[in-house]
Amino acid sequence: MKLLDIISSANSNLFRNKTRTFLTILAVFIGSFTIILNSAINSGVNDFIDRQVESAGGDGYLEIMTTEAVDTFSSMMNTSEVQEYKEKSSNGQNSSYITDEQIEKASKIPGVESIDLIYFATPEYVTKKGSDKKYAVTSLNLMPRGNVNLDVTAGRKPDSTSSEPEVALTEAYVKALGYNSDEEAIGETVTFAVPNTIACYTAVKREDCLKFVDAKVVAVQAPGVMATGGMRANLALNDAIYQLSTEGMPEETKRHAFQATAQVEPNKVDEIKEELKKIGLIAMTIDDEVGMIRTFFDAILVVFSIFGAIALIAASIGIINTLFMSVQERTREIGLMKAMGLSNAKIFLSFSCEAILLGFWGSVFGIAVSMAIGLIGNEVAHQTFLADFPTFDLVKFNPLNMLIITLIIMFIAFLAGTLPARRAAKKNPIDALRYE
Amino acid sequence: MGKVIEAKNLTKIYGKKSAAFTALDGINLDINEGESVAIVGKSGSGKSTLMHLLALLDTPTKGTIEIDGQNATKLSKRQLNKLRNSRFGFVFQQFFMNANDTVLENVILPLKIAGVSRFKRKKMALEALKIVDLESKAKNKSTDLSGGQKQRVCIARAIVNNPKIIFADEPTGNLDSATGDKITDLLFALNEKRGVTLIIVTHDEDLAKLCKRIVRISDGKIISDSAVRKDAQAKASERREKEAARVKRANEKEAK
Repeated sequence: MKLLDIISSANSNLFRNKTRTFLTILAVFIGSFTIILNSAINSGVNDFIDRQVESAGGDGYLEIMTTEAVDTFSSMMNTSEVQEYKEKSSNGQNSSYITDEQIEKASKIPGVESIDLIYFATPEYVTKKGSDKKYAVTSLNLMPRGNVNLDVTAGRKPDSTSSEPEVALTEAYVKALGYNSDEEAIGETVTFAVPNTIACYTAVKREDCLKFVDAKVVAVQAPGVMATGGMRANLALNDAIYQLSTEGMPEETKRHAFQATAQVEPNKVDEIKEELKKIGLIAMTIDDEVGMIRTFFDAILVVFSIFGAIALIAASIGIINTLFMSVQERTREIGLMKAMGLSNAKIFLSFSCEAILLGFWGSVFGIAVSMAIGLIGNEVAHQTFLADFPTFDLVKFNPLNMLIITLIIMFIAFLAGTLPARRAAKKNPIDALRYE
Repeated sequence: MGKVIEAKNLTKIYGKKSAAFTALDGINLDINEGESVAIVGKSGSGKSTLMHLLALLDTPTKGTIEIDGQNATKLSKRQLNKLRNSRFGFVFQQFFMNANDTVLENVILPLKIAGVSRFKRKKMALEALKIVDLESKAKNKSTDLSGGQKQRVCIARAIVNNPKIIFADEPTGNLDSATGDKITDLLFALNEKRGVTLIIVTHDEDLAKLCKRIVRISDGKIISDSAVRKDAQAKASERREKEAARVKRANEKEAK
């Protein structure tokens, strides 16, 4: 008997008892559907996180804080533990600041390409140049030097090697500032108002202590969920704003920074992290930062996958049962085929084929239904809770994943089928023919 | 005419030691090409066991079977399967048809097992159906057929691979005498016109007497092996015809 004949007769044998076959396929379907949809959500979420990571920082990009700062943050998070007081230095300087010495040492570590202290620029409001409509600025972050991407809908990321101040707006600011489209905003100039810390202590009116700086709009950002939201400034703009706000302060105080960014050789990240630790600096890649989120999602999906796996185990038992019944019913047919010279191996193959086909059809329906639900789900999500993230597909179908899942399910079905298939193959033709 | 089957000292023992049961005890039997042989015996006599051994469906405890001079007891499973598939045809009392398949698919089965290509096997199956005069039913489901038609399909299935030997196990056992006659006519026509060796296992004396030779089995031994005289053969067919006519009349009466 040829393989193709075995497969086609296995398939037609399956549909002899339609109800029973349908129910068995349904059982496989429940398992495959759960696992496929799960894997699709996993792909969707991970793809989204990946893109966010990419937009936040690419390979070899590090964010650096002092060990003390990290400790302070973690003790802030942990209110149930009280730590012993550590004496500060005589000038009261907080050791959470990164020192010049540390920067000096860090820049000498082999593989470190650049390292910049990050000063927090805190402009008060922004206007379209020449307009008197003012919009509060809640967050303006530095677009650091190095291998960092920005997910943009128009323009290009702010260039931190340029000496001209540049800014990437968010879509909300584009609308508020009165541009008709993202493209229209590109190349326009906006003005930031910056309060000078010293002057504002004594100023009677707030306007009296405000200073202004112009920046060119070079990009509009695609919405993201990571901590990197807000407008992005290039180094020139960030510095300009910081200078304006700290004008008149002692140089030493001006130099206070909690954070630094570094661009290092991507394949040396781990060693460099170790070296930085020795000089009291903790470095994190964006991957480290989103690792938590990823772990959280993965944990949920693992739980659902376990449900799917349990459903598949139950379905396997269903397959075993179905095929045992089928073997029983077709005892005489098996006997006849054996009398006619069909080998045990082919009988085994033919029943295994039925099992595999049960798995196959279950997976195919699983894929079809989960795709349908996934597409509807994406549509609904885009219109509701994911309306701000047009580039984020909640469910993403990866053909390779689906193929692998289908193959695994077919293999599980095959394993389940081996028991009944063995029984069929071992039947003695004479006994089988006598069977009433 | 050469020997198609040569069985020497065939013994089959079921069970072991104290529970051992000797189903066949030192059977020697030669069957020539083109013969029609009836194996007759009461139930439990060992006639079915003998047929199973001759048809290579079972292996003897002792003794050898040669098919066309080839020692079948020394063949591998694969060779046995091939031998059965290419040389033998089977007709059973209970038909053994796949109810949900079409008539054609049922007839095709041995060819499918042999791995004959789709086109060729369809052609061969239709030819076999033509011989049993059921070409028109090729596309029907086998459940739609009457008992006689079913057995004719089984004969078509048995001859589709052009076998040398047809084993028929109580071929008319499930049929009334009129339909049974049609089946026997078909079988003997195959025997006479095509030279197919016919081995019929039966307890029906009339059917047995239509064969050229009767082998009687009792308690696992051959008690007689003789050619059927022409007049006995004629008497048997006469009696059968009468019986058939009677059944026909009875049926007609019932119909009225």
